[in-house]
Amino acid sequence: MSKKSTYNLHFIALLVVLLLCFIINICLGSVNISFVDTLKALFGTATKDSSSYYIIWEYRLPKAITAILVGGGLSLSGLLMQTLFRNPLAGPYVLGISSGASLGAALLIMGTSLFSGAFTFSTFNDITLAIASSLGSFLVLSLVLVVAAKVKDTMALLIIGLMFGSITAAIVSVLSYFSKAEKLQQYIFWSFGSLGNLSWVQLLIVGLCTIIGIFLSIISIKPLNAFLLGENYAKSLGIGLQKSRYIIIIATGLLAGSITAFAGPIAFVGLAVPHITKQLLLTSDHKIQIPAVLCCGAILMLVCDTIAQLPGSVSVLPINAITSILGAPVVIWLLVRKRKMIF
Amino acid sequence: MKNRRTTTMFKRLLFISYLLLLCGCKQEKKDPFSNQTSISSTSIRYANGFEIETQSSGITIIKVLKPWANAETTHTYALVPKEIQASVTLNKNEYDAIISTPVENIVVTSTTHIPALEELGVLNNIIGFPDTKYISSKAARERIDSGKIKELGINESLNTEAVLALQPDLIFGFAINDGNSTYETIQRANISVVYNGDWVEETPLGKAEWIKFFAPFFNKTKEADAVFNKIEASYLEAKKLASEAKNKPTVLSGAMFKDVWYLPGGKSWAANFLEDANADYLWSATDENGSLSLSWESVLDVGQHAEYWIGPAQLATYQEMESSSLHYTQFDAFKNRKIFTTANTKGETGGTLYYELGPQRPDLVLKDLIHILHPGLLPNYEPFFFKPLL
Repeated sequence: MSKKSTYNLHFIALLVVLLLCFIINICLGSVNISFVDTLKALFGTATKDSSSYYIIWEYRLPKAITAILVGGGLSLSGLLMQTLFRNPLAGPYVLGISSGASLGAALLIMGTSLFSGAFTFSTFNDITLAIASSLGSFLVLSLVLVVAAKVKDTMALLIIGLMFGSITAAIVSVLSYFSKAEKLQQYIFWSFGSLGNLSWVQLLIVGLCTIIGIFLSIISIKPLNAFLLGENYAKSLGIGLQKSRYIIIIATGLLAGSITAFAGPIAFVGLAVPHITKQLLLTSDHKIQIPAVLCCGAILMLVCDTIAQLPGSVSVLPINAITSILGAPVVIWLLVRKRKMIF
Repeated sequence: MKNRRTTTMFKRLLFISYLLLLCGCKQEKKDPFSNQTSISSTSIRYANGFEIETQSSGITIIKVLKPWANAETTHTYALVPKEIQASVTLNKNEYDAIISTPVENIVVTSTTHIPALEELGVLNNIIGFPDTKYISSKAARERIDSGKIKELGINESLNTEAVLALQPDLIFGFAINDGNSTYETIQRANISVVYNGDWVEETPLGKAEWIKFFAPFFNKTKEADAVFNKIEASYLEAKKLASEAKNKPTVLSGAMFKDVWYLPGGKSWAANFLEDANADYLWSATDENGSLSLSWESVLDVGQHAEYWIGPAQLATYQEMESSSLHYTQFDAFKNRKIFTTANTKGETGGTLYYELGPQRPDLVLKDLIHILHPGLLPNYEPFFFKPLL
């Protein structure tokens, strides 16, 4: 069997698993809705005013699609960062995107306590929160881009991204210290991440950003593969390093920024999924890796969300707890089994 | 060589005996109730968190049994009247604090302490409070504005230096668990700290009864009893009135953050009010005495057709609710405009009045709920805390 057809088999298997996970995710939740009723609701034969129709259409379906976008998008941006920095520990948040988003969210939620009057937001809801965190991550990303133009060394850029993260984290802790208990609680809950509560309009925005991010990644496949071999080698191939770097950073910013804005900082997926796919497919070729991380990330997130909903019980768990509990052992097991890392 | 070994042995022995000595010094607290013939114990009818006994010597012993949830230790305080102070000797190790009464300059740490002290007429004894902006009481606000109540920190957490500079006789503190370093530092500076556990109390009248806990510190026991008896009578009368209602409306509560819904547990303070107001709180069968965090799907499933929605967290208007989540619009109580909140009743500096005064005036809270849930029972009553959502 040729290598190409093996990959095809892999992808068919991944897509089948993805579809299964998607259906299971929609069927399971706190409220028991039978498989038949779920199908009826999905294909419009159920009565429109029943609560099960509303739950499926306005909550579970958007949540499942969010899980796919979040899982796929974050995994892809993680892959981009790991390749750009040639560092297996990099993730979607190394450039300070999540710390920027956290700063935006913290200023909106808790800023009133520190700048009473000057920073009073009359309406605090999911839309304003998304705008605030997008602005925050965009601000940090712009700074990183400015620095990227000045600094020619990618490693220096990595350190600078981490430093931005430290600065914003410090500001957030000062804000937290001065804010009321309920405001602090709101911020903490935002930082737990959440896949629910996205309206169709918000989903459309995340979806668009994800598609643009994927497109930018696809046109960068060649430079990405060259980056793996080192910057000097990439130069000798005649690849415009600086331009590719910009495109990769913008793609990451769009993916991670939009997702963080609406779903909060979802941990771990972006770091772990690229390692899982590399171990599964035994290649670091981005032509294979890009679609693979999109599928694997989406599957992982759907499974995590299904577990977090604790089907049949009335409680729910924060999604961030589940991603790490489920994901970390998988990565450990894969690395121990293979005895080496493919990078 | 041998010599050195002996020295080491000797040092070890010394160290061990020192440790033993330390352990010996740390005496077990005796039960001060046991060795004195007590002449009267204040009757506490509803609160589970404290006990008061006055001994024949004139000393009052207050035990705080539950300063925080799941507390394992009891805090015991001895209150010694100033006139007999010279003739009394107490073993310091038996008490968490020995306080000479009446106390003059105090610091309180929670807004829930303010109304009780105001009722007892000792508001003027308060000289400091952490984060005064949360206080809504008009009399207390005047004292804050005139600088008589000093600012001592933020968010109900005390600034140690500010407290030490102020040198109050006593601090009424509260803690959510053991090991509060700020209070320990303050105690080392010979400022007494007494833990108030009113917030752990679950029953409406139990919370209000904590006014009796404050009374002995100011020799105001009679006044406290009178105030509480009035509140109790008013509460029980309202409860009886509610029990005569023919119907039992269904009630939903709480609000969502992200996709988790937070609402009062079936044994909580808020749920007890709904029980006494003769309402059918849809989660009354749950065992939690704090709050429940449920998936919003399950709340929709149970509460979609609830007639009333009492207390949607801090949401103040229908528009704010709709913009924070479209899911709210699915509930009948939202469609029929039957949502009531305490978020619109604020003091002049933005503190929510319900948090401050609600625990002390359960009769008003109950009457508010009866007025809302059983229209016709209290037709001329003007709600105090719970107002319709705007």
